[in-house]
Amino acid sequence: MVSVVDYVPYILEGVLWTLGLVGGGLLIGFIVGLPSAIAQVYGHRFLKIMVEVYAWFFRSVPLLVLLFLFYWGIFPALGFKLDPLTCSILVLGIRSGAYQSQIFRGAITSVGEGQYIAARTLGMSKMRAIYHIVLPQALRISIPGWANEYAIILKDSAICFTLGVMEILTRTRYVVMATLEPLIPYFIAGALFIVLTYSGTKILNTIYDKLKIPGLIWRM
Amino acid sequence: MEDVESMVEDEIVLKVEDLYKSYNNVIVLKGISFEVRRGETKIICGPSGSGKSTLLRCINLLTKPDKGMIWLEGEELTTRSININKVRQKIGFVFQEFNLFNHLTALRNVSIGLEVVKKMKREEAYKRAMEVLRKVGLEEHAHKYPAELSGGQKQRVAIARALAMNPSIILYDEPTSALDPQLIGEVLEVMKALAREKVTSIVVTHEMGFAQSVGDEMLFMYDGKIIERGPPEEVIHNPKTEIAKKFFERIQELYGREKR
Amino acid sequence: MSFWEEFIAYLMRGWIMTVELLALSIPLSILLGLALATARVYGNKVVSLIAAGFVALLRGLPLVVTLLIVFFALPRIGLYFDPFWSAVIAFIMCSGAYQSEYVRAAIQSIDVGQSLAAQALGMTKLQEVVHIILPQAFRRALPGISNEIIYLILYSSLAYIIGVQEIFATAKHFNSLQFRPIEIFSTTALIYAFMATVATFFFKKLEERLKIPGLEIV
Ligand SMILES: Nc1ncnc2c1ncn2[C@@H]1O[C@H](COP(=O)(O)OP(=O)(O)O)[C@@H](O)[C@H]1O
Ligand SMILES: [Mg+2]
Repeated sequence: MVSVVDYVPYILEGVLWTLGLVGGGLLIGFIVGLPSAIAQVYGHRFLKIMVEVYAWFFRSVPLLVLLFLFYWGIFPALGFKLDPLTCSILVLGIRSGAYQSQIFRGAITSVGEGQYIAARTLGMSKMRAIYHIVLPQALRISIPGWANEYAIILKDSAICFTLGVMEILTRTRYVVMATLEPLIPYFIAGALFIVLTYSGTKILNTIYDKLKIPGLIWRM
Repeated sequence: MEDVESMVEDEIVLKVEDLYKSYNNVIVLKGISFEVRRGETKIICGPSGSGKSTLLRCINLLTKPDKGMIWLEGEELTTRSININKVRQKIGFVFQEFNLFNHLTALRNVSIGLEVVKKMKREEAYKRAMEVLRKVGLEEHAHKYPAELSGGQKQRVAIARALAMNPSIILYDEPTSALDPQLIGEVLEVMKALAREKVTSIVVTHEMGFAQSVGDEMLFMYDGKIIERGPPEEVIHNPKTEIAKKFFERIQELYGREKR
Repeated sequence: MSFWEEFIAYLMRGWIMTVELLALSIPLSILLGLALATARVYGNKVVSLIAAGFVALLRGLPLVVTLLIVFFALPRIGLYFDPFWSAVIAFIMCSGAYQSEYVRAAIQSIDVGQSLAAQALGMTKLQEVVHIILPQAFRRALPGISNEIIYLILYSSLAYIIGVQEIFATAKHFNSLQFRPIEIFSTTALIYAFMATVATFFFKKLEERLKIPGLEIV
């Protein structure tokens, strides 16, 4: 007979894996999403269309399908033999990049063209104007959108159990199989996700309040 | 025949007796009493904050008075057993800010009460609504949404909405205060026409021309009390209190020589 | 039969199941969203608190976990649903909870004058909510609701996890027979992308049709 005390630490260990998926996904999403947003606002036509298609595809296909397409199809075809965790982080990241590009684009647009033009008239180059004037403002006002993206990717990371990544849900399912008792393990998993969702969002919103500049808000 | 008519005219539609109301320990109405007879147009004026809106809201039970009694056509409204929604059907209310339903056309704004509250058939309600809109001169705007109407037109729709319910009395709370000066006239014209048709009403207004031409009695409120009452000309031109005198002088300055 | 002929036959079967799932979940989730928002704004303390708790709970849980709880854990407390209905219930609860946030914000954005005018006409609270408040709130919440429904279309693929033979399940099964993952999963991906894009277009049109001057999103 396996008792609750025996398997709780085992499930808790999954939190690290979950946070790995979320952290990795958000980071890659940022690395992909921010340049995409800049390209969408300031880029040439061809670049804009490329980013548009990328964002459309990854926002219109279920994560489940993307995971299977990349894990079984695209990565092997490209010659990469990736483990489930790496593959999941990459897919979560590339997909999050599509969503994050929307967040950053909204933020950049709401900073306003006036700021960019003012910087250019000071003699700044295009890159400098974006880097020194637009981005510091845009990134600040993106934080609430980013907090939301954290909550989304956290919950989506549970879907990676389908590839067998040892995150919270995979471990919970193993426990259910071993104990044949679904109620308590699933409630533990649910509680963990709820705590992670709300505490993470709270932390990000606190950061936002700290970095907030009076008068600088999201305008669509 | 004449006797019957004068009896009907003398009938008391609304009676308010010793009404009190306070908000968070601030007394806003301090013992208000008056009567409105059938066909009468009662004017209420007084400085801002004197409790005029609160009084009207108490009458149609949008807020609950603390003390005192209100009767509408002999029925006491201030008892606990009263059906608030039944009462409100009999009291038309015209707001300063119009409060037309944004998602409904002018016609539907007028008909919705008939359909939903009076359970009239839709075609019948539309017919009645159209009649009333014609009366306020907005027949050709019946299918426009509130955002497509001018302020004056909106307020006329609001009057039509109240009128369509066939109320025993209509309460107007500063119906022209939110309007641009050039739009006030059209609304006052409609209200005058209704007053001449002997539609019973209480009008909170600072339009002194209107008050004098159709008002039967004027109540001047100050600090939650009625401090003057009488025929409008009397109250306006020969106020007994210094406060009312000052007030009418200021009104004269503000609204000035524009003759309405 | 060729690979593609057989594949399309598989997909067709799954697609019909997906459509069935969505045809039930979408309208019911909208109703739940309206009901939860109404309960939160107009309910008494207890009702409002229960609705708020329900929304917070479902917004904090991954849909997969909700799905697994409904299908595997609820039978332990005597609530048994077959895979199809488990999926529908989980989808309605999850999407309804998210949608209710938009509706609630929309209700709260409506001017109090609308409520006063309804009361002054003698409407009951229910009549006021149904005829005056919700028609306006729904229009303002529609962009948010549409977004949630598009998510729901994508997340309906999760029903495969509890054994519903929807489109992803049939694709995966077919892949286990043929093992041509690139063709199979990219076709599946495009079908979902097509559904999401059509839905986006449909909701744009719907927003235009329901648009009333002066009732723009604030
Ligand atoms: N809902 C309310 N809550 C608290 N105080 C109120 C409320 N409504 C009115 N008051 C107060 O009651 C007083 C009278 O207001 P009101 O009846 O609107 O006056 P008037 O219409 O004559 O300008 C004011 O001091 C106002 O601040
Ligand atoms: Mg007032």
